[in-house]
Amino acid sequence: MGTKLMDRRLFLQAAGVTAGAVATVQVGCLSYFKKGRSAAADNREVPTTCELCPNKCSAIAVVEGGFVKKLNPNPENPKSRDMLCARGNAAIKQVYDPDRLKQPMIRVGARGEGKWKPVSWDEAFDFAATKLAEVKAKHGPEASLWSSTEGFQEVFFKNLGLAFGSPNLVRHPTLCLASVNLAYSATFGTVPSFDLLNSKFVIMSGANRFESIITPDTMDLIGSVMERKAKLVYLDPRFTVTAAKADEWYPVKPGTDLAFILAMIHVIIKENRHSKDFVAAYTTGFDQLAEHVKQYTPEWAEKETEIPAADIIRIAREFSDAAPRALYYAGRRSSWYQNDFQMRRAQAILNAIIGNWDQPGGMVPNAKLPKGEFLFMPWDEPKAARVDEIEKHFPLAAKGDGVYLKLRENVLSGKPYPVKAWMVYKQDPMNAMPDQAKTLKMIEQMDFIAVIDVHMSDMAWYADVVFPESTYLERTDPVEVMPGIWPAVVYRQQVVKPIHDTKPNLEIVQGLAKRLGLSDYFDFTIEQWVEAEFKELPIPMAAEHMKKHGVWAASGQPSFGKTLNPDHRFVTKSGKIELFSERLQEAGYDGLPVYTAPVPPPSDRFRLILGRVGYFTHANQSNNIWLNEFMKENDLWINPKPAERLGIKNGTYVTVTSSVGSVKLKVRVTEEIRPDCVFMLHGFGKKSKMQSLVYNVGASDAVILETAWDKVSGNAAFHETFVKVANA
Amino acid sequence: MAMKKRRYALVIDSRKCINCKACVVACKAENGVAVGNFRDWINEDRQGEYPKLRMDFEPEQCHHCESPSCVRVCPTGASWQRKDGIVLVNYDECIGCRYCMIACPYDARYFVEETGVVDKCTLCSHRVDRGDVPACVETCPSKVRIFGDLEDPASRIHELLATRRYRVKEPQTGNGPQLYYLL
Repeated sequence: MGTKLMDRRLFLQAAGVTAGAVATVQVGCLSYFKKGRSAAADNREVPTTCELCPNKCSAIAVVEGGFVKKLNPNPENPKSRDMLCARGNAAIKQVYDPDRLKQPMIRVGARGEGKWKPVSWDEAFDFAATKLAEVKAKHGPEASLWSSTEGFQEVFFKNLGLAFGSPNLVRHPTLCLASVNLAYSATFGTVPSFDLLNSKFVIMSGANRFESIITPDTMDLIGSVMERKAKLVYLDPRFTVTAAKADEWYPVKPGTDLAFILAMIHVIIKENRHSKDFVAAYTTGFDQLAEHVKQYTPEWAEKETEIPAADIIRIAREFSDAAPRALYYAGRRSSWYQNDFQMRRAQAILNAIIGNWDQPGGMVPNAKLPKGEFLFMPWDEPKAARVDEIEKHFPLAAKGDGVYLKLRENVLSGKPYPVKAWMVYKQDPMNAMPDQAKTLKMIEQMDFIAVIDVHMSDMAWYADVVFPESTYLERTDPVEVMPGIWPAVVYRQQVVKPIHDTKPNLEIVQGLAKRLGLSDYFDFTIEQWVEAEFKELPIPMAAEHMKKHGVWAASGQPSFGKTLNPDHRFVTKSGKIELFSERLQEAGYDGLPVYTAPVPPPSDRFRLILGRVGYFTHANQSNNIWLNEFMKENDLWINPKPAERLGIKNGTYVTVTSSVGSVKLKVRVTEEIRPDCVFMLHGFGKKSKMQSLVYNVGASDAVILETAWDKVSGNAAFHETFVKVANA
Repeated sequence: MAMKKRRYALVIDSRKCINCKACVVACKAENGVAVGNFRDWINEDRQGEYPKLRMDFEPEQCHHCESPSCVRVCPTGASWQRKDGIVLVNYDECIGCRYCMIACPYDARYFVEETGVVDKCTLCSHRVDRGDVPACVETCPSKVRIFGDLEDPASRIHELLATRRYRVKEPQTGNGPQLYYLL
């Protein structure tokens, strides 16, 4: 391997120097040409934007001989800085993955049987359009469901759903971060960033920032904790990498973080440690808050959380002493418990009363940058109400995102109306939603399912037709503004031409739109769309700059305190930061976070908790060969004490059973978890045989997770499942 | 004109390592390392009893030793050392005897079945020669590794080794390893 590469590199260098480097070719690389590659070596460096997770890091693709050989970090991006993580580096293997979807396919066997017929794009489009039209004729356009997840080309998919006339777009937030978004919006009218770089005291509940990589937070935390000696207090039932790096780790009793936060607020108010000037100038409801938290003493919280009262008092004092350079970090995946919204609200309130708003080292409202818009023909608003009845059950939730689990319940019951077609873009509901058996039931009752993806996800495996999307390195995408403390604009441009018969999502959408009589709404090319976006970027020669650099950020340092003037109106009902929220109360929720103790697992069961490692985020990444090398199979973490009690030995297999399913997993007996919890990693135990590295290897958490959600946001509650563990 | 003397080395601040594996995958891509082989890796040390625990990580690769035993034992001269300290394998001269693999105190070498030669970390000499840092150094989110020239008094690693306590691994071998782990 090494020899071949060396030769090729020498050849490429030589070929780069002289156009007619035929002699060199004959010496070095005969086999290179036998494979039919061009004599004019295609060597380039192309700036682009990573798509392996939602961070959108800037990368420079190194192309050698027409192949993407390496992705280097692009230091011009102030969010991703000068790094590219393992996933980002492994994106090359997404392109050259033998398991990739290589042409459109129509199912010929039973759903999930894995029998496929490769078809032409015309045949696939015709088939899907006919099926969609049938469903529309029989049940109306609202009988189609459009599921998608975050991505630069997601907009085209959503627009097709809306133009088709369906109100039923459902997106990932309620399986991820809806509760944290809603809680901070309810308090501040916006979701801020957290200035970990400049903070002196950071508290984190679970948000395992050293394994769940978020830019720039992960790097900033390393900087603040390791280099500038900021203090990190970390609560997690599991000893994660973040726990290991923290100054103090508390293996908090699961689901009781809210008690810890309320007790901190209690101490800070009781000891008069809050920022009185800030509270008076910018907030409402402080008196109600002070009265409300009187009941939540540190001694009470010790019983709930198992964190000693003396530590809670000390942490509250240290935290308020460090203010405003102190913050309770919000986290991203906030789909844990049924009280998740109120837990996040309490964090927001704690942050507010110490006055860290819009301060270095505190919370900072995101700065934005303008971007042009391509003006396309508007469609009529869908007439039907949403099938998840979001208005009725979750009046404060984001309407455009929908509420995933409630939606599944309603689709299964056929009420308020039937949904018979399921269109999916870039998402794997089979693994993203809890209770896979229920998702399979939802699949069964569909008349038609189509999936657009780069690979054969478990969802695609159960589809009737799959449309192969080109990978990000093979596409040009819309321009993305990344709001933040230091906002930036990123651009993803095609690095290499598609190596298989795949299309970018826009062209797939256009193929369907044409046959559905919706072409007028998609009468543009990606180049036209991007040109329109470039036009209003605050950059001279925007198109040239973005093509050359892939990213643009304002020069100079970020500014703080723009909202800190008494005339500033927050986007809340009162125009102030709402410690007590009338809007919540009017909607039938608690205006201040009220604690209810979580139900503990029965003595013969464990609470199942989830998390991530640095090299896997999404379910599809375990099938990337460069990442799979680090973990070929997921396992079940269990503390040695219960393991001994149950006669379970390290490395053997156990069955893990909940009320909805059962899986078999290898055991990891480890001190690094509370005795009342077990842990497993996401993304294994695939049903799709075209995820060949992880097909039937390990287990999917979705099989055993039970359905539960947060009452206010509708966010899935993934840590509310109790499981029985027994030797297999 | 005499060439300026260089001595490349890595200073490693292991405390900042989060075991994210970015360096390992970057190396794979940069150097075309086959699946199953690794030119760099991260050692894990997990100790203690719940809830008193610790977890430490330590990135490692070829130590590009001052007096490399792999070069000494090589019967053909395939394993060799550049003047700037980088230890390399000349694939054309390697006969695949694997003495060097046994001689390396760090287990930093591997045998490539397809080509019948031994391979290892090159400190990305091809990148270094054009003025870039090795791929593992560049891609790291926490910048655990600091690459530089020990002969250059203005370099960051020169300063770090002058002002910080550090250790090297297996110093008793006399190999003179050039991976400096900060304490």
